[in-house]
Amino acid sequence: MKFDRRYILPGLLILLFLIVAIFPGMFAPYSISDRTATYQAPGADHLLGTDNMGKDIFSLLIYAARWTLMIGFASGLLAVFVGTAVGLLAGWRRGALDEFLMGTTDIVLILPKIPLVIILAAYLGPSPWVLIFVLGLLSWESIARVVRSKVIQIRSSEYILAARCLGFSDCRIMFKEILPVVFPVIVPKFVLVTAAAMISEASLAFLGLSDPQTVSWGGMISDAFTYSGFLRGMWYWWLPPALCIILGVLAITSLAFIHERGVREVMQL
Amino acid sequence: MLILEADRISKSYGKVAALTDFSLEISAGETVGLTGLSGSGKSTCARILAGLERPNTGIVRYAGKELTGANPAIQMIFQDPAGSFNPVRTIYQSLSAVLHLQGVPKSQRRDLLSEHFQNAGLQTEILSRYPDQISGGQAQRVAIVRGMLVHPKVMILDEPTSALDVSVQAQILHLLKDIQKENGMSYVFISHDPSVVEFMADRVISL
Repeated sequence: MKFDRRYILPGLLILLFLIVAIFPGMFAPYSISDRTATYQAPGADHLLGTDNMGKDIFSLLIYAARWTLMIGFASGLLAVFVGTAVGLLAGWRRGALDEFLMGTTDIVLILPKIPLVIILAAYLGPSPWVLIFVLGLLSWESIARVVRSKVIQIRSSEYILAARCLGFSDCRIMFKEILPVVFPVIVPKFVLVTAAAMISEASLAFLGLSDPQTVSWGGMISDAFTYSGFLRGMWYWWLPPALCIILGVLAITSLAFIHERGVREVMQL
Repeated sequence: MLILEADRISKSYGKVAALTDFSLEISAGETVGLTGLSGSGKSTCARILAGLERPNTGIVRYAGKELTGANPAIQMIFQDPAGSFNPVRTIYQSLSAVLHLQGVPKSQRRDLLSEHFQNAGLQTEILSRYPDQISGGQAQRVAIVRGMLVHPKVMILDEPTSALDVSVQAQILHLLKDIQKENGMSYVFISHDPSVVEFMADRVISL
């Protein structure tokens, strides 16, 4: 397949975010525990000034990439794992199991996500792991539906009938014969769930439901709001993390749409 | 010796009856032809005989025992040759998986497949290609080779030459005859073309 140039810009942006998130020490001039004078304006020593605790905002921005991206990608992975398993089982087995799993999917589908996430995050405590589990376990339903319909379409294909005749087990057929064919429709769903999880994390952090021990872009905006960053006109405190969230989400969503369009072109849908 | 037997089987999908009260007996080494118009239930019958579907009523027996599901001793060859292979796997990967199931070590698989390919008149270069990169005739030969890898006793051939050119059709039919002569397998040969069925079958049943 010919490489699609449309991947370059969002791909490079995501790559940059990932490199920064994995090796923050290489890019951050200060550690997140270093303190100096509070509420400093941007200057040569502090590119984006300092916050209410005297921490370097640029360094916080670099370190925050790690948690924001990790919560997004980990939630996306968890949602893909659950959604794919449910969709595969429901589409392959059909019957009562299909009805039960799709009934459960419908219930998850109609749950009001953000209010529920707020309640769960408040009840279970502010931890990034809680956020990952809550966001991941509430975002798998669309993946399950897509996977199930694709599996139903594939299960009566002649190559699947041939695999059954040859004596392959149900497990092998599901994971080795069907999953690789379904995979292209899972990828865009994964990135969309990841982007949605990043936004949800930012929303929860803004509401003060994130772990104060961890630094995230949403948490930085929340701090700027709580500790008079907005009142003092310190746009360099809240705007950079907001831009990072927007750019990250846009890049991830673009990758999903470009990939989906590519798959459609290949499949000539 | 009776190897496959369908005893008064019927199958319906909702209110639509696809097959009604059908019986069939196939002896070892015999070729039974099934012919009929479109929608007469030929493919439904093929899937039931292969154990891929259960009849609503009636019973299918293989070697005297009730057939309750797919059995490697009964292989099926489909109408769409390329469609019977996983589109995201190379031909080698598809066939190697069958040999893995048979317990053939990885080191011996390519040689074994080369031997089978030679017997079927296929070039080994095809092994590295994807199903959409080979011709219909080649794909049908590969499908036959794949079926033979599990040493079946019965082969259900559901319109195996319908999607092929006339010249390729003849080659496939002769290949099937040669294989049967060598292995003594039983065939259920399904086609809407009476001349093809007559050429292949010892006896013909019309649906």
